[in-house]
Amino acid sequence: MSKDSKFCPGCGQPIILQTLYRILQEQKSEEKAVLGLDIGCALLAWDFLPINTFQTHHGRVTATMVGFKRGRPDSLSFAYTGDGGAYAIGLQSLMWAAMRNDPITVIVANNSVYGMTGGQTAPTTMKGQVTDTSPHGGELDPMTGPELLRSINKKAYLARTAVNEIQNVKMYLTRAIETQRQGNFSLVEVLSFCPTNWRVKGPAMIEFLNNMKEPFKMGEF
Amino acid sequence: MILKILLSGDGGQGIQLIADMICRVSFEAGWHVTSIPNYGLEQRGGVSLNFIQISDKKIVYPKFSKPDVLLIMSSQARERTEEYQKDSKDIKILDIKEIEDNLKKNNVSMQSYNVFCLGMITKILEEKNICKKEDVFTLIEKKLSTKLGWEENKRVWGFSILN
Amino acid sequence: MSRQFLTGHEVVVQACIDAGATHMFGYPITPGTEILSGWIKRAQEDRSLQYLQTEDEIAAGFCVAGAVMAGAKAFTATAGPGTVLMQDAMSMSDGMRLPFVVIVGQRGGPSSGTVIYSQQEVNLAIRGGNGEGMRIVFSPSTVEELYRLTRRAFNVAWQYRFPTVVLTDGYLLKTKQDVSLDFVGGNVGAEPLVSEKTQKNIRNIYTFEEELYEELMKQKEDFDAMAKDVVESEFYCGNEVESKKYKVESCDELIISHGIVAAAARDAVDQLRSQGKNVGLFRPITLSPFPKEELNEIVRNVKKIWIVESSMGQLRDLVKQNIDFTDFEKIPQVDGLYKPAVGIETEEIVNLFV
Repeated sequence: MSKDSKFCPGCGQPIILQTLYRILQEQKSEEKAVLGLDIGCALLAWDFLPINTFQTHHGRVTATMVGFKRGRPDSLSFAYTGDGGAYAIGLQSLMWAAMRNDPITVIVANNSVYGMTGGQTAPTTMKGQVTDTSPHGGELDPMTGPELLRSINKKAYLARTAVNEIQNVKMYLTRAIETQRQGNFSLVEVLSFCPTNWRVKGPAMIEFLNNMKEPFKMGEF
Repeated sequence: MILKILLSGDGGQGIQLIADMICRVSFEAGWHVTSIPNYGLEQRGGVSLNFIQISDKKIVYPKFSKPDVLLIMSSQARERTEEYQKDSKDIKILDIKEIEDNLKKNNVSMQSYNVFCLGMITKILEEKNICKKEDVFTLIEKKLSTKLGWEENKRVWGFSILN
Repeated sequence: MSRQFLTGHEVVVQACIDAGATHMFGYPITPGTEILSGWIKRAQEDRSLQYLQTEDEIAAGFCVAGAVMAGAKAFTATAGPGTVLMQDAMSMSDGMRLPFVVIVGQRGGPSSGTVIYSQQEVNLAIRGGNGEGMRIVFSPSTVEELYRLTRRAFNVAWQYRFPTVVLTDGYLLKTKQDVSLDFVGGNVGAEPLVSEKTQKNIRNIYTFEEELYEELMKQKEDFDAMAKDVVESEFYCGNEVESKKYKVESCDELIISHGIVAAAARDAVDQLRSQGKNVGLFRPITLSPFPKEELNEIVRNVKKIWIVESSMGQLRDLVKQNIDFTDFEKIPQVDGLYKPAVGIETEEIVNLFV
């Protein structure tokens, strides 16, 4: 189904992408789908799936897919991004896409760090979490995207799950796609493994992810 | 033949409106026309300028530093156009300061000053065979007759053209 | 061709519609705002015209990038600080060869500067990205040319797939003038970069230095090939000279300017020649690709060059980069009138030759 993964061993992103692809296959929608990629580890997905994909700039995938969808309204437009691209540098465009109810689907892989640059603080870094750029631990409560967007768009489909809850990943993405088809905005945040930058292995990786479920609530919002 | 007119006044005095009328009528009469406004950041109250050229030849560049006619409708505008008032022997300067007493004597409301000034410029346009005063009036009527103060504007127009 | 009395803004909107543009994304900024509001006004009558006022210029640019990948003829218009923000999307368009069209209304800078006029966005328009400046940049001189070059911008962008800038200014956009809008030739069609018929993976980031190097060299080759068709200039010495005859015509002193300043310079040349002075005007119409050969043909035979621009030397630097002599003694003296962020009038140019 896909070429060799460029993601680190243990990375959660291939799970999200493969689940998305499986849904598209089941719905025979591979040709309608266009996957825009933010810069960050998301860019590694550029040749991962046999569908149309393109890279954009850091924080800019949402705006790009807003334009794409308006250029081709019958497409299924996906903006695939990390937590930094979605909630820090790209928050302005994300909020406005939600405000305008642009019918695109944003998929956020939340691993609580900037992965590609080596594990710096992200908007989703948790209180007390130590990174290169927060050596004394994160000081803020992390950004919770779906909850934030709920207050500005009543029609949007907004959900959060984790890569170790694969049935929910599939269910939420399916509902998000359905929402896009109905002409509304959708966003699914998926908590994802980053063993490289969490500097953990095996069971500790699962434990880290499960600990993330404390500040980041699972479910639909 | 080329006629260069620089209009100046305070924002809100109607400089851009009379510029539009002068240009529109000259354009309809078949002349080449350029008009370029210039104003500050303020939405209201700054100095408002418009550079107009009317010519029998195609005009390439819309701005100029030596107007043939300079209209000054406020003290701010007088200051702003100081540069253009040098060599004043070649320029016909229409300054509100010179005529304000007369306007007040005849009970011309300040809202109609721009119509009065348009009348003065229309006389110049007619002298130069650019257009007829009737054409300007037709346009004023079209643009202003449904607006507040039309009777006053009409009276001022007649007063301006006849004086 | 019927006469109309239109502003530069109105002419741009008409040109975009006539070029077959369907989508505008923009953010209000003086002096580009009336292009957005003018387009939206026209869209009320013509439902095929789409628009979005975005949250900032960055989003406007990336919406254009997304829409053109989907195969829509999209564009934006901006100015000054907006041109700075637009570099993000323009740089992506540089890298991915997107037919990105932007109308830039130059205003005074740096920073918020003035909202009025300038010629200080030449460097930004050409080299504002983190790359090599392989963009097409047109500098119209008159309102009628603004129409022609805006239409041409869409054609060259979609034909050659380089980001294309119509670099105009607050004066030209605000000028209202009697115009006869004319354009020779049709419109180049818009093909999607990805569609249901394709399965493409398009990137703008590379793993290895060598991969990017190879890509850039290929781009350069395409850019040079494109330049032969697209480059445009004008030599005026009382009469317009056809570009292939630049070599045989000559003047003692040469004014070089672009955009609306070149219109003032043209009037100045007429006045100076009527005084018996052998002065000519060279006007690059494309600032990028620069009309290098044409410049060198003329410059070879002149004694002195006068650069005239509303900037401290952005055009001068372009000219100097492009003078291509092996015989250094022949390089004429270069002097100039540099007035950043203010207009230059005919009389000032004439006075240079007193």
